[in-house]
Amino acid sequence: MLLDEKLFDKFGVEYEPNDIIFCEFEPGNDFYFIQSGRVEIVKIINNREKTLDILGPGDVFGEMAILEEEPRSASAIAIEHVKLLRFRRENFDALLQGNPQLAYKLLVIFSKRIYDAKRRLMILLLDDPQLKVMDVMNMLAEQDPHLDVAEPVTLRVTVQEIANWAGMQINDVQKILTHLNKLGKIELFNDRVVVRNIRDFQRLVNSRRKSMYA
Amino acid sequence: MSNGSSIQGITTRTYKPGSIVYFENDKSENIYILKSGLIILTSQKLETGEEVKEEVRPGEFFGVKSALGRYPREETAQVIKESVVLVLTLADFERLILKNVNVVLKMLRIFSNQLRRIGRAVREVLGETSTINPEEELFKIGEYYYRAGRFNQARYAYNKYLDYYPNAKYSDLATKRIREIDSGQAESNIAPQPVKRQEVKTSTEELKDFTLDEDMDTVPAKESVVDEMDDFLGDDVSGSNFDIADESSKEQDISSMFYDAMSLYSQSEYESALQLYKKILNQKSLKNDAENKVYQKAHFEIGRTYFKMGQYNEAIEAFSLLIKKFPQSDLIVNTLYHLAMIYEVKKQFDKAKSYYQKVISLAAREEIGKQASRRLKNLESR
Repeated sequence: MLLDEKLFDKFGVEYEPNDIIFCEFEPGNDFYFIQSGRVEIVKIINNREKTLDILGPGDVFGEMAILEEEPRSASAIAIEHVKLLRFRRENFDALLQGNPQLAYKLLVIFSKRIYDAKRRLMILLLDDPQLKVMDVMNMLAEQDPHLDVAEPVTLRVTVQEIANWAGMQINDVQKILTHLNKLGKIELFNDRVVVRNIRDFQRLVNSRRKSMYA
Repeated sequence: MSNGSSIQGITTRTYKPGSIVYFENDKSENIYILKSGLIILTSQKLETGEEVKEEVRPGEFFGVKSALGRYPREETAQVIKESVVLVLTLADFERLILKNVNVVLKMLRIFSNQLRRIGRAVREVLGETSTINPEEELFKIGEYYYRAGRFNQARYAYNKYLDYYPNAKYSDLATKRIREIDSGQAESNIAPQPVKRQEVKTSTEELKDFTLDEDMDTVPAKESVVDEMDDFLGDDVSGSNFDIADESSKEQDISSMFYDAMSLYSQSEYESALQLYKKILNQKSLKNDAENKVYQKAHFEIGRTYFKMGQYNEAIEAFSLLIKKFPQSDLIVNTLYHLAMIYEVKKQFDKAKSYYQKVISLAAREEIGKQASRRLKNLESR
């Protein structure tokens, strides 16, 4: 997506490598559009810094600030020299009027965000820890548009990430994964999990979900 | 549905009352505008399974979010009165709204409200309501980077802290830290230990690495509060527990029987599931705590399976046995809840009520307790 060059004169900001653009828990008023360079989104969890995402040119971040002034939920750090456009909540409407492409992009971002949040809520509402873990794997598998449920599925995910998604303690998740591994339902690797039969997991979760509302 | 005619390259379709534009879970990248008529969108509330109906009026869009986000439809769109609908592809939609930013702004506002509402629900389930104090947390971010020897980032966080909270709890400390960083004293105060990401190891090491995830050390070894409803796993976790060699030797262990039974249950093969669960109940010796949990859980599942099959007396018998044998089990609350449901189905409402009350008294603040209250209220309003 190309944004008007003139915008950079008005809204452009630049950062050097390792500069913090904004910091977790800082009140947020601005959102950013990346012109060039890469930005790392990180969060400190259990006293460790975790990378949530790495963004590049054309990406938008900090967009939750459009809605309300809330503390940032993660930090944004420049990986290399970056050029950004910084927008304030106050001139948001005017900005979008002049840049319908950006408006469209935000609409897509919000659509995805809503779905992801709903999908997560569905996991959290399950009443069985093992099913929660399985459903995290279902969710991750669904993200692949070419998913073939008849084949083993490889998921790039760590225990910590599964625990975050499921809202569970990491050692509880670990127990369940160990167990599923023993049963041959999954194979565990350092950086990924292979699910032998994702359809089985989907079935188990769906049947419980139905009976929850029975 | 009549055949598509074209206005400016956009297809219009006419639907008869009762027909469906799309079903929940359909995948499609079409976006619709209702030109005339009436359409109802039906979806389910995630928290309760309750049906939610929403009217689409002429001039309104529908099917926008799932098409843009490329995920399955979350609602079923049913035609109530004969309707004329414009069918847009993503490209059509983009072209159309680029000329009409106000529509986008309006949609963004609706979407952001939805996002906020879901966010609240998520935080509620996680029990994260209003427990964090952003002031303190912001300072802690500074401390984290300070200790990691990443002084630029630490300075940023301390400065922001001072900007927003000039006279707060940690203001003096933040000022002191900045001075230490600027004078170079911080360098000697701490030995920088940059956080390194783990690299991928070779296959023999893989499983072990996964267990010894870097965060394991920060988590207490035994969590006392396990999920009360259904923690049937438990498992013999005491330290490094991936022992694959041991796994192959006992194929039909009690856990895998249980898992297979659950799988059968989910495929509605109740008889076969029951057989397996009963086999578990016949086990003479249980090797450890984990097996004991599975054993308990099998009692519960037998009850649940009978309930599903409509054999209520057998279900009651199974649940009662569980209560008798394992009065302290994690499964008690859920068992009582099931007994309540059975009596409700059997129209023995007094018994149903008293079981719901027991559930409420044991788990008032949990989801199951809330569900029990709802059902109890329903019964009482009869």
